[in-house]
Amino acid sequence: MLETSELRRTFTSDAVDYEVLKGIDLRIERGESVAIVGKSGSGKSTLMHLLACLDRPTSGRISFEGRDYLSLSEKERDRLRNEKFGFVFQQFFLNGRDTVYENVVLPMRIRGAADKDLRPKAMSALESVGLGDKHAKRAKDLSGGEKQRVCIARALVGGPDVIFADEPTGNLDSKTSRTIEDLMLTLNRDKGITVVIVTHDEDLAAKCGRTINLKDGMVVDELGEDDEAGEAGEQI
Amino acid sequence: MKLWDLARTANRNLFRAKLRTFLTVMAIFVGAFTLVMTNGVGDGLRDYVEMQVKTFEGERILFVRKKLPAELEEQANSSGPVEYKEATEDGEGNLIDPNSVVVSLEQIEGLKDKRPDVRSITPACRVNPEYISVQGGKKYQVGIGMLSEGVEQKLEAGKMFDGSDQIILPIHLARAYDENVGNLVGKTATLAYRVGNDRELRSRDLTIAGVATRGMISNLNAFVDTETAKAIYTEQNGDTPNFNYFNNFTIQLERADSELLESTKERLDKLGFVGLGIADIEKRTYDAIGILQVGLNVFALVALLAASFGIINTLVIAVMERTKEIGLQKALGMGRFKVFLLFSIESVLIGFWGAMLGIVSAIGIGSAANAFLSATYLESFEGFSLFAFRPLALGAVLLLVCAIAFVAGVMPAIRASRLDPIEALRYE
Repeated sequence: MLETSELRRTFTSDAVDYEVLKGIDLRIERGESVAIVGKSGSGKSTLMHLLACLDRPTSGRISFEGRDYLSLSEKERDRLRNEKFGFVFQQFFLNGRDTVYENVVLPMRIRGAADKDLRPKAMSALESVGLGDKHAKRAKDLSGGEKQRVCIARALVGGPDVIFADEPTGNLDSKTSRTIEDLMLTLNRDKGITVVIVTHDEDLAAKCGRTINLKDGMVVDELGEDDEAGEAGEQI
Repeated sequence: MKLWDLARTANRNLFRAKLRTFLTVMAIFVGAFTLVMTNGVGDGLRDYVEMQVKTFEGERILFVRKKLPAELEEQANSSGPVEYKEATEDGEGNLIDPNSVVVSLEQIEGLKDKRPDVRSITPACRVNPEYISVQGGKKYQVGIGMLSEGVEQKLEAGKMFDGSDQIILPIHLARAYDENVGNLVGKTATLAYRVGNDRELRSRDLTIAGVATRGMISNLNAFVDTETAKAIYTEQNGDTPNFNYFNNFTIQLERADSELLESTKERLDKLGFVGLGIADIEKRTYDAIGILQVGLNVFALVALLAASFGIINTLVIAVMERTKEIGLQKALGMGRFKVFLLFSIESVLIGFWGAMLGIVSAIGIGSAANAFLSATYLESFEGFSLFAFRPLALGAVLLLVCAIAFVAGVMPAIRASRLDPIEALRYE
């Protein structure tokens, strides 16, 4: 579903070029849960930004369901992110003064959805993260774990094919982290939503179906435990 | 995002920074308030002058005078003095005086023969009265004007002339005889005037046809009909050398038709005359007020200009403050144009609220000032409101302020729309 070939990204700062991604070839299939791991500076966030159509590669190709990002206009890129992708960030980016409900419906408002269509979608997204009863609360009054669950609901509300999560547990204690991890992987399993998680949390990475390990802008090894197990199972 | 959602979000964003929004709105408020007030003064003056000037009506009427020679005419139309030119004689021994603006009765009557669309031409007969007295009561000084056929004076009571030997009294004079001026209609006024070198006092009994409404000219003059004016003029000037020479005359056309009026003016121009309709005369006065009004409004616009920098400042800060939020919105698929619109709407809303506050306060304070002033300092200017507020002008102020606010918001809004989502989300 998501495919890259020879993907490179170079940043220029003070006339010095930094090649952050040095030719990445990847395929992520529908329904996978993928962790992108690596040390800071390894290029994992950059890779996610490119996959999520937030950034443009210096060279190489990326496509989503066969649609090459390079061929998309800015409007089409905006629409792709809005309709097909959901986002979860380490720092939540919730509007604290707004209600949980308003925060969750933001992608739908951006899409231009009618008011009457918002409520059922928002409520069902909130139910999925177990916050159905908190829709009227101010976002700033929630705990960290609850905030991240609101973010997941926000990522979920538009019915995305892929949820991109950038260090979703980075700001949470370990117990809350586990809840969030489980929640995301449940969504992956039950709703068939592809999940791409950038993390340096090994526990989280281990729970994902596949781990893409980046080092200095290159994929060093891909561990696909589930896949290997599956293949092994078939072989027997 | 739908426009309504954008507007709602923009409004909510404004309320998030209440104090800042309030202060910026106040700056706009001051500008809008000043603009409404200065414009209101202009309209107030205009209304008053209109009331004073618009006491005559007559769409078929042209007031005509002889043109000076081209060079002198130019001087007369500018503010400088008009040069004196020596008179010359033509071949037949007639004196040609380039300074003279008088026109002979012959020449005036001559104009009529050629024009089928001219109903009448009336030379302005000047009458020098001695005094007036109503029903043998107290004698008063008075000026006398002549109302040609086709010129209507607005009346407080009674009606226009329907024959000769009639008079219309100015309201002040009428009130001196009877507070209820309507009672005077149909009564007799005696007009006295002097005739000849021995200044013999003669008088003439005139029927009061009506009482004129207040106005710049009708406050000073009583008006008589053409026949009466001509008769007294003949008595007073019949044996003088300037008898039947006139400074000006009125032309009454067959029908009220602006095209005919214009074409007649053009013909008069070719014949060496200047013809002005009542509208032309009023326009000159209004133009003067218009200039005054523009001058006043410039001050208010300067205040608005200053306030627009406040809007720019407010929005630049808002964009900085909300960089992450914009980043999120863009990441979630909000297009550049929508981000631009979001900030533009915020900007226009600041303008809108400032203008609304300004308009409402200006109306409130202006009306209070009107009430106070007309009871005190402006008591003698009956019917004068210093501030006049016209819905159209208020609407124009609202639109103008919103437009200025929009323009002020363009730069910050473009900044916001160009933010890169990744950079914006990282912004600290």
